[in-house]
Amino acid sequence: MLEAEATADMLLMTQPFSAPQIEEQPVEVMLVKAVLAGERDRFARLYEMYAPLVHGILLARVPRDEVDDLVQDIFLHALKKLHTLRDPKAFAPWIAMIARNRAMDFYRSSRETVEVTEQMAIARSPSRTAKEILDLIRQLPDAYRETLVLRFVEGMTGPEIATRTGLTPASVRVNLHRGTKLLRERMGTLQNRER
Amino acid sequence: MNENYLWDRSGEPDPEVQNLEQILGSLRYQPRPLEIPNDVVLRGIRPFFTKLAIAAAIGLIAIALGLWVNFNRPRTVPAVVAKRDSPTDQKRNAPQPQIAPNDNPMQLAGIKDPTPTKIQKRHREPARTLVAQNKSRDTAIRPSTLTPQELAEKEQVLLALRLVSAKLNLAQRKTQGLPQLNIIRNQHKIG
Repeated sequence: MLEAEATADMLLMTQPFSAPQIEEQPVEVMLVKAVLAGERDRFARLYEMYAPLVHGILLARVPRDEVDDLVQDIFLHALKKLHTLRDPKAFAPWIAMIARNRAMDFYRSSRETVEVTEQMAIARSPSRTAKEILDLIRQLPDAYRETLVLRFVEGMTGPEIATRTGLTPASVRVNLHRGTKLLRERMGTLQNRER
Repeated sequence: MNENYLWDRSGEPDPEVQNLEQILGSLRYQPRPLEIPNDVVLRGIRPFFTKLAIAAAIGLIAIALGLWVNFNRPRTVPAVVAKRDSPTDQKRNAPQPQIAPNDNPMQLAGIKDPTPTKIQKRHREPARTLVAQNKSRDTAIRPSTLTPQELAEKEQVLLALRLVSAKLNLAQRKTQGLPQLNIIRNQHKIG
């Protein structure tokens, strides 16, 4: 009797059909796994995705002319040490931490004074105002400057900054608000001085 | 300042924030291909069997170390060998009085014996092969065989000890400044 009922259920499909659920993994998880499995070329995609983050973190700390080379160094270092990353989901906070540490090492190794060649000066000529504002941001407390650079320079939104840096959205919001307020005050002081 | 625009660019655009975005946007990251040198050696995740092999190797080393320590431990065999015909052995070797199964009054009355029939040993015997061991102690209380005179002397000694003890207690309490105990309470002991 029971067998007959079960067969009827199967034939008539009285039970709700549940398709096997495929767990969707974030892109970075799949990429990290692929790279670790030997597909080295996939690392280029990770680089494309997270280079702006690393660039912003470095720009808030080290001289602008050093940033591009350091970004490359950091990604090469990350490629070598990728097997030490336990949770592939945490790739973004992991590489952000590497970038912060590398920025600290930069100052430790006393490479602060860099010769500015003529070619470099021509290649990168942002407006004077941008440089000045960036200098003002660099003078802000550490928590604010990174968030502000990622928001205003790299064009990320608050939620994106939170996801990529591993900070809580509330912290990012506070940092953005207070940092912008401070920056505005200092910009006002700068403008008053110029007048 | 429009906070929503600053947070996620939603809502009405804030001109001040837009201005900052425009100015600082000139410093934005310029895509540049990553140059990976050929000598970069990429280490993959250790496969499951490698981890298993490492764990097994560690386990084997631990077992081998344990065995080595166990076999190399210096053994201290007691040099004293008990006499064969010591009184304890004689007592142990003496034939035990056999009790007939029907002699048990509890069984005759139909009451179950609460004590288990098998007496289990509480501790395992050590594996060492000692020649003889004197484990059982004769703790049975023997009836006193004192004469009345000896009993009187014993009482006197006990009384003297109590007196001395009481005096010592008193002296100690005085030196420590503690209140004195009610001596009358202990008078029946002192006599």
